Amino acid sequence: MSNETTAKAPVAFKTKVILLIIMAIIAFFAGKEFWELRHYKETFVASEDLTQVKWLSDYLPSLKGTWADTPIYVFDSGVEGGSVFVMGNVHPYEPASSITTYVMLENIHVTTGKVFIMPQGNFSGSTMGSIGGAYPKYVHIETEWGEKTYKIGSRESNPLDQWPDPFTYVHYPDGQNLAYQDIRNMNRTYPGREDGTLTERAAYAVMEFIRREKIDISIDIHEASIMYPVVGTYVAPDSSIDIAMMAAMTLSDSVFDMKCEASPKSLKGLSHREWGDYSDTLAFLMETPEPFIDRITGPITENLMLYGMDEFLVKAAEKGLVYVDYPVSYWGVEGEPMWYRVGRHLSGALEAINWTGLFYDDKAVEVTWPTYDDLAENGLGYYLHDPALAENIDRVQVVYHKPVSVNN
Amino acid sequence: MYLYTTILFVIMVASFVICSRKLKSPEISMAITGVVGALVAYFMYLGGEYQIDFPVRILVEGLFTNFDLAISFVCASVFVNLYSYSGAMTAVTRKLVGTFDNKWILLTFMAAFMLVPGALTGAGSISVFVLGGLVATVVRYMGLSDRKTTAFVFIFAILSAACPPINLWTMMMTAQCNMPYVGFTKLLALPIAIVGIFTIIYLGWGSKREPKEKILAELPEAPEKMNMLRILLPLVVVIGLILLTLYAPFDVPVIGLPLTFIIGSFIVVLCNPVKRTFKEYFKVVNDTMEQVFPLVATVLSVGVLQSSMTQIGVKGLIGVTFITLPLVMLYVTVLLFGPFAQGCLSYGSAIIIGAPLVFMFNTRGMDTTVVCAALSLMFPIGDCLPPSRITGRLTCETVGYQGSYMSFLKQIAIPCALLGALALVMFITPGTFTFLK
Repeated sequence: MSNETTAKAPVAFKTKVILLIIMAIIAFFAGKEFWELRHYKETFVASEDLTQVKWLSDYLPSLKGTWADTPIYVFDSGVEGGSVFVMGNVHPYEPASSITTYVMLENIHVTTGKVFIMPQGNFSGSTMGSIGGAYPKYVHIETEWGEKTYKIGSRESNPLDQWPDPFTYVHYPDGQNLAYQDIRNMNRTYPGREDGTLTERAAYAVMEFIRREKIDISIDIHEASIMYPVVGTYVAPDSSIDIAMMAAMTLSDSVFDMKCEASPKSLKGLSHREWGDYSDTLAFLMETPEPFIDRITGPITENLMLYGMDEFLVKAAEKGLVYVDYPVSYWGVEGEPMWYRVGRHLSGALEAINWTGLFYDDKAVEVTWPTYDDLAENGLGYYLHDPALAENIDRVQVVYHKPVSVNN
Repeated sequence: MYLYTTILFVIMVASFVICSRKLKSPEISMAITGVVGALVAYFMYLGGEYQIDFPVRILVEGLFTNFDLAISFVCASVFVNLYSYSGAMTAVTRKLVGTFDNKWILLTFMAAFMLVPGALTGAGSISVFVLGGLVATVVRYMGLSDRKTTAFVFIFAILSAACPPINLWTMMMTAQCNMPYVGFTKLLALPIAIVGIFTIIYLGWGSKREPKEKILAELPEAPEKMNMLRILLPLVVVIGLILLTLYAPFDVPVIGLPLTFIIGSFIVVLCNPVKRTFKEYFKVVNDTMEQVFPLVATVLSVGVLQSSMTQIGVKGLIGVTFITLPLVMLYVTVLLFGPFAQGCLSYGSAIIIGAPLVFMFNTRGMDTTVVCAALSLMFPIGDCLPPSRITGRLTCETVGYQGSYMSFLKQIAIPCALLGALALVMFITPGTFTFLK
């Protein structure tokens, strides 16, 4: 073996220079793409009900100026009622979660209580692709007025913002050992640490936000691979499992199949476990099927992200290895298209909120946004508004890790 | 899609074989294979439903897949080479040989030493870096041939990677499957102990230890002022920092393995009884870079290859082919596919092959903790297989093995087969082993 590497003739200087130039060119073009994704700013046309923009750093000042800071949009009806928190993109490689929050942000109408929406739960993770995942940078949604572009990020925070990793991650405060990269996985770091790593601090700030704003209902939106059993489901701790069950039964009976899973007590760091344990909120996590993140797919393309159709997964489904109806759902939907996944989340969140109001009067929130049926009828792009229209210009919001105006 | 990805797979295999023969460089061959696969796929899929992005960013991104590992290799090598340069390694060897007269006791000590760094960090390569040279020296004096010495270091390196408390394959599978990383200690430790004891006997049998006096006469003298404090302090600092990360994680900042070894390197310099110039130390570091460069190139190239295989669907083809096999075929072939996946994908094997299998066995009502542990014992075997063969290659280079790679593979075959057999029994009958949880 050693002979293979030591017996080679030295490379000529000229060859070295040529190789160096080629590498520099490759580095330039790749670097340009990395930079674009790092600094891409998603926008949305806010609903007229928007009353305030808060920041995660309002709840932990040490986050200010970091790439973990992220906006929280507040919709206060002014009528006494409960409060709801909806969080998207804690795992930014699950973009149906952030797109769901954007549809909410653009179309929400609140008549009782308050709604807080955080579209980019882990902003840092949204600024890079998944290393080794070979993801396209963006997913484009067609609308009547053109294409809307959203980022496809990573599962973990960007190493540019938090590095190095330890060789094993020890969860705070339970001391459970987890895979080393999970120290950058926000949904393994709850309840977080005030003086911990950037991701732990972001998790701590979310807990502080929930505690200080006395959030009654907290909804964490995710996507899951279809070979993962916890897919197409609510996950809830003891305190909210009955509500989740009722919501799941209602949806399964009338709209789409929805399961309900109890949050395992031994699995640490997840929102559906720690949010309820470290605050009084009723926690719900929702998972929708995303074949794009399955590990045995064919080519990694934007089409796979948009439509969720993959021949290898069809083969796996034939062998009974997937946990949803695939490639055609019971309701006749082919693949796992983006509108379907977003629609599931929109109706799933609404159903959890409505059932909470039925269980507890004082936590009732009256809110509307487009539902699964609306998206099935009109498509996803229909609910994303044109920021260039004169009546929308003043309502355009830029989602970034610090306040910026539309023109920046 | 099957047709396209199969064509691409064949092209990549052909590309790797041709490059390996022509260039005699596995690392450049892997990188070229990744580029060839990605470019052919780009033009093959162009304009169709599987159109992929032009792969420049994806290939560069692949370079960062094992970036942390590469830096850890560099820093660990600097630490070990500075430690050897100070004469501490010679002093340790002399002490060990002088203290223990019994070959079996010394071999057992060496085996236990080898297990520690890998068990604490999850990387067998770290065991080879930190202790491989020392262990090889001592084991050789126990009368083992070069080939057996290399096999000894390799087997205990892969066992150290699988050894609790940190087993990265298990951790990655549990992370993918949302399982807690608990209940694995005895499940992993028992097979490792069995294979470890067997390896010591298998490799040590028939060898004849040379007389202590002769060995000591042959060993170079340690520097005059080298004492136990100077010998132990650098090791204590490195192991201490690693233990702090594990057992007091909320009281110390995350410094990572590279900085741990750099701190250790400074301690080595401070403890060196012989005053050396900056230029001399610089030369050691420079030589270390030369020495470790092929390995760094290997792990970076593996990342490029993996990214390319992922983007164009070849990774998916390998994964789906294996996990959709009938159950009996799966049992028959898991000992081929598991290590082969490790050779191709490194720790990615746990995610691509391991996690789907755990889900599959979960639906069949089998004990997934045992299944996870069994797979974690199979994957390390692939650390000697191409194209990456990271630990195998590193062991040969660290030990200075001059024989053919095939002869090394033959020497490790029996202990690896035992490890595989034990893992296979656990995999097929997980219910039998639940008492170890």
